[in-house]
Amino acid sequence: MSAAAPNSSAFEYQTADCWEEAIKLRALWGEGAKLIAGGQSLVPMINLRLAMPAALIDLNPIVSSGPWLDQGELVIPAMTRHRAVLDSPLVATHFPMLAKAVGLVGNVRVRNRGTIGGSVSHADPTGEIPCVVLAAGGRIVVQGPSGMRSVPADDFFLTYLTTATDLDEVVTEIRLPVAGDQDGWGFDEVTRRFSDFATVEVAVSARSRASEEIPELRVVLGGVADRPLLLGEDILEPFRRLGADPQAIDEVAQNAANSISPESDVHASADYRRRLTQVLTRRSLAQAVGLG
Amino acid sequence: MKTQIFLTVNGEQHELWVRNDRTLLDALHDDIGLPDVRYGCGEGVCGTCTVLADNEPINACLTFAVQAQDVAIQTLSGLTNASEELHPLQKCFLEHGAAQCGFCTPGMVLTSKVLAQRNPSATRQEIRYELVGNLCRCTGYTKIVDAVEEYFGQVREQASTGGGDR
Amino acid sequence: MTEVLPDAPDVGSLPRTGETYNIVGTSPAHHDFIEKVKGSLLYAADWRLPGMLHAKLVRSQIASGRITRIDTSAALALPGVVAVLTAEDVPYNQIVENASGGLGEVTVSQPVLAADRVRYAGEPIAVVAATEPEIAAEAVDLVEVTYEETPGVFDAESALADDAPLVHEEGNVLVNWNIVRGDVENEMAAADVVVEGEYQSQHVEHAYLEPESGVSWLENDVVTLRISTQVIEHATEIAEILEVPESKVRVIASYMGGGFGGKEDMTVEPYLALVTWHTRKPARMVWTRQESMLASTKRHPFLMRYRTGARQDGTIVAQEVEIIGDAGAYPCLSARVLFAGAALACGPYRVPSVRCTSRAVFTNNVPSSAFRGFGAMQVVFGYESQMDQLASKLGISREEVRDRNYYVKGDTIPSGDEITTAVAVTQTRELALQELGEGPPPTASHKRVGRGFGCGMQPYGRTIWFRDHASAWLTLQTDGSLLIRSGVTDLGAGQAASLCQIASEVLGAPLESISVYIGDTALNPPAGGTFATRQLYMSGNAILRASHDLRDQLTGVAEDLLDAADGELAWQGGKVQAGGRSLTLADLAKECQQRGVNTSNLYTWRAPGGKFDPSTGQGGTFPDYTFGTHAAEVEVDLETGQVEVRRYVASHDVGRQINPVRVEGQIQGGAMQGLGYALMEDCPLDEGQAVSTLFANYLIPSSMDMPDIQVAVVESGEGRGPLGARGIGEPPVGPTAATIASAIEDAIGVRPTQLPITPERILKLLDEAGSAGAQTGEEQA
Repeated sequence: MSAAAPNSSAFEYQTADCWEEAIKLRALWGEGAKLIAGGQSLVPMINLRLAMPAALIDLNPIVSSGPWLDQGELVIPAMTRHRAVLDSPLVATHFPMLAKAVGLVGNVRVRNRGTIGGSVSHADPTGEIPCVVLAAGGRIVVQGPSGMRSVPADDFFLTYLTTATDLDEVVTEIRLPVAGDQDGWGFDEVTRRFSDFATVEVAVSARSRASEEIPELRVVLGGVADRPLLLGEDILEPFRRLGADPQAIDEVAQNAANSISPESDVHASADYRRRLTQVLTRRSLAQAVGLG
Repeated sequence: MKTQIFLTVNGEQHELWVRNDRTLLDALHDDIGLPDVRYGCGEGVCGTCTVLADNEPINACLTFAVQAQDVAIQTLSGLTNASEELHPLQKCFLEHGAAQCGFCTPGMVLTSKVLAQRNPSATRQEIRYELVGNLCRCTGYTKIVDAVEEYFGQVREQASTGGGDR
Repeated sequence: MTEVLPDAPDVGSLPRTGETYNIVGTSPAHHDFIEKVKGSLLYAADWRLPGMLHAKLVRSQIASGRITRIDTSAALALPGVVAVLTAEDVPYNQIVENASGGLGEVTVSQPVLAADRVRYAGEPIAVVAATEPEIAAEAVDLVEVTYEETPGVFDAESALADDAPLVHEEGNVLVNWNIVRGDVENEMAAADVVVEGEYQSQHVEHAYLEPESGVSWLENDVVTLRISTQVIEHATEIAEILEVPESKVRVIASYMGGGFGGKEDMTVEPYLALVTWHTRKPARMVWTRQESMLASTKRHPFLMRYRTGARQDGTIVAQEVEIIGDAGAYPCLSARVLFAGAALACGPYRVPSVRCTSRAVFTNNVPSSAFRGFGAMQVVFGYESQMDQLASKLGISREEVRDRNYYVKGDTIPSGDEITTAVAVTQTRELALQELGEGPPPTASHKRVGRGFGCGMQPYGRTIWFRDHASAWLTLQTDGSLLIRSGVTDLGAGQAASLCQIASEVLGAPLESISVYIGDTALNPPAGGTFATRQLYMSGNAILRASHDLRDQLTGVAEDLLDAADGELAWQGGKVQAGGRSLTLADLAKECQQRGVNTSNLYTWRAPGGKFDPSTGQGGTFPDYTFGTHAAEVEVDLETGQVEVRRYVASHDVGRQINPVRVEGQIQGGAMQGLGYALMEDCPLDEGQAVSTLFANYLIPSSMDMPDIQVAVVESGEGRGPLGARGIGEPPVGPTAATIASAIEDAIGVRPTQLPITPERILKLLDEAGSAGAQTGEEQA
């Protein structure tokens, strides 16, 4: 076949068996390359000719251990499959919210191939995992030619399918602060069909604080903006004022709904998303602070 | 531009030359000639291309053939050996009339079979949960879940009698 | 109005009620089930032929416009591309579908490949053939089509306006059916109460899991296609398109991975035929799922306006119905679908005075056509909503208002023909409600539980003016095995298997000794397509008669060999028996051969025919109907609008069950498709463009979205199919949306009138009810 033939969809295929190799290949191929982990979001785009990478760098040969504990953090290597997250006793014990959310990701086939690093990197604003990682106040460890750095989840998700990872970097680990016995969490979502991407989802972590009666709340909305949305202190203000009671929860839920400008799509209007935000924020908050 | 690959499918090794963008689905269905692995959507949504990779269900449509060289692939036709005898799970599907058009059946059987190994005590609801990504447009699922439930009963019974002998 | 042709014996005259059966009424696992659970059945896309090309369509990007230029040069230059065909390569570039049989619709043709004008987004413009599918896909992107957009019209009611853009020069109304009976004006004026309602349904995708697909090749100069189709008789149209004699086209139908009406029109056929005809090479075409979502036919959205007048006791005196169906850009089967809508617009209720108008209207949307239920299912949502409204207006129960109006055998329907078999709709309702019972209370304080039901009436068999017929050909081989040849196509509902069961019953041939060859225009006698719930009725009657005739042919020899008296023979288990003596079918067949007795029978069964007069709106319509009732319990989340169907029961009178497991499967599957239609499924269009063509975004129910469907079968023993059977293919999809709406109204006090009943629409209804007067919600709680 002549070089001029626009036979572009047949990409070069490269495998990486360690992160260093992946980073080297990425530098070599530049913008035309795509990293593939589970491939559950990327391959449909290639099949539908919506993405035509010049090269595919396959991360699957990278061997990773399961989740492990490291100084108060639950460390989940990026290539950990959703299935392994679900099966992990450490996740069940220290991060039940993640276990619940991962159980709602796709279906058994997606969970067998899909990886936590892939979900975080893909940064779908309706995805369960970005939402939970942000609510947990986790960190994303990325590695590039100049070494390793850790990005707080708060700064990681920028906009649709875009993260703070530089072009020459790859996500290698997700680190979540381990929840204590007194901590609460809440996760709720509405989907049009079971296990589909959420129309709206809300993840809440409530960390008890030794010095204060009111827990530290992190409330994240999914499906209502270009990225998972962490609610600011101004929105959570009723909690500070009223403490963890139903009135405060109602007010926060109302504030949350008022604060967003969601878009309409094939599954729901902006208005419906706003209403769901109020309901699900209330329900998740109530669950997190033990008033559910 | 084609790449030489080796796939292990239903216990047999196959040498193929494929484009890098050839999906495992097309390689199995068209190049190797397995009619039990089917194109239904190309998005990983419908489950008609379900195969087992190292005994876990995956979407053959979302895996490129070049990626599948280091795993053991099993398709429905690999469930039984060359003898005509059906697998007990297939018999349950037969007895319950759990197939109509039959297009979703391989995915249903493979997904249920893996769940049976993992958790033969699964409840009806847990079976439904496991099958959520295998869409069926004909049966309404009731008969499929009936068939799987009956098979799980057989697996449990066999485990409790310490059997294996049949 | 109904005439019975001399060669159409009374369907009730053959053995039925009172007889016991050995094979009929049991549920053996048939040949197709076994192949399906093994995964070895070869569907349309599974065949590969030597040197096979891969064909793919170039489709219109715009909904309405002129094609100013098609440049195929870049595509043709791509290595591996063998042909790029456009309109000028089509010998006769027209598909003419007079769906009504010429009773009143305008004649509009559909091009195989658009030449100068495109009328919907996704309309085929060119077909590419290449050595590999990936190359064909690339070549499609290289075909350059230049358009000049023209104003389009995107909803059926707007298309009726005087100044609406014309989709076809012939006008935007394809057909306008009127069914008129009695004196509507006066009866309506005299009614004690009148209830009115407007109801809307949506575009729905068939979403069979097997996409449109097939292969083609040339054999002895005959263009041969093996495809996923419900109708092999399209061979006629393919011959027209190629301008070859019909004898030069052969169509073979593979077992389908679902059809539901979506493979009743042609899909891949004309394109495969063209490629093979031009290149002389075998070809395969498989539509991608996204292509199927974009451009395959859909269920018609109906806009339905009802006015119902009744007396104080609930007796209906008059009903006016207006139906507007969005036909999309081309006729397909719209004329017939809208006829069924008109004929069934009043449902299973006696309405002495009726005026129904039903129009199929062209738009620049994707064409609508056949889909399980075929017009008669959309109207259930209308007439059942009217019945519930009437009940609440009169303060009587939903059951009572129906009891006042149900048809009984012998009643006359609005078109003037008579109901000639049992109407067991009351029994189905009682059974359904009894099975449903009372469920547990709501699971949370923000949830409400409601129960409801809906009744339906669905025709089986084609409209009788088509003078439908089906043939079946039986041969007893000299080893005692039996061959069935029939042109029937098999959707997965056991169309072929039920023929085996009937023949086995009559001839005593064990099922495992029967082979059935189906769906081939060259080698099988024609059976008509598999649609309109007609195959058990048509081919079932044909095989029953063929079996009886064959048995009669063999009887003389058997009586002679067994020294048996008249009527003494029993045919069972591969043997003929009389007075303790027996003879195998093999020996009987061999003896027949010796004596020159024919061991084959080819029977053509003709359904009763009739006439319909479109000018008076009176005449014969359908051969018979299947009645049923569904009942549901739902739980509605008042805050999110989500509806959970907790329990669902479906009951139908099937006359007689040939295969109970298959009957149950049809009912469960139909109910599930109905639930998807009621609550989830929609193909939203924006100015004719699909908002999404992803399968991920088309919400057919998953195993977690459905309850178990409980089935309660009634066997009245009366139906016009073989042994008193009624068709059950389409009927179970009908009552679902009305049933769910009824249960939701019971839960929240407001009635949904627009499909699908999405959570968002539920909240809207609650809002409207709240602002209209906040009291209603509380009463229901």
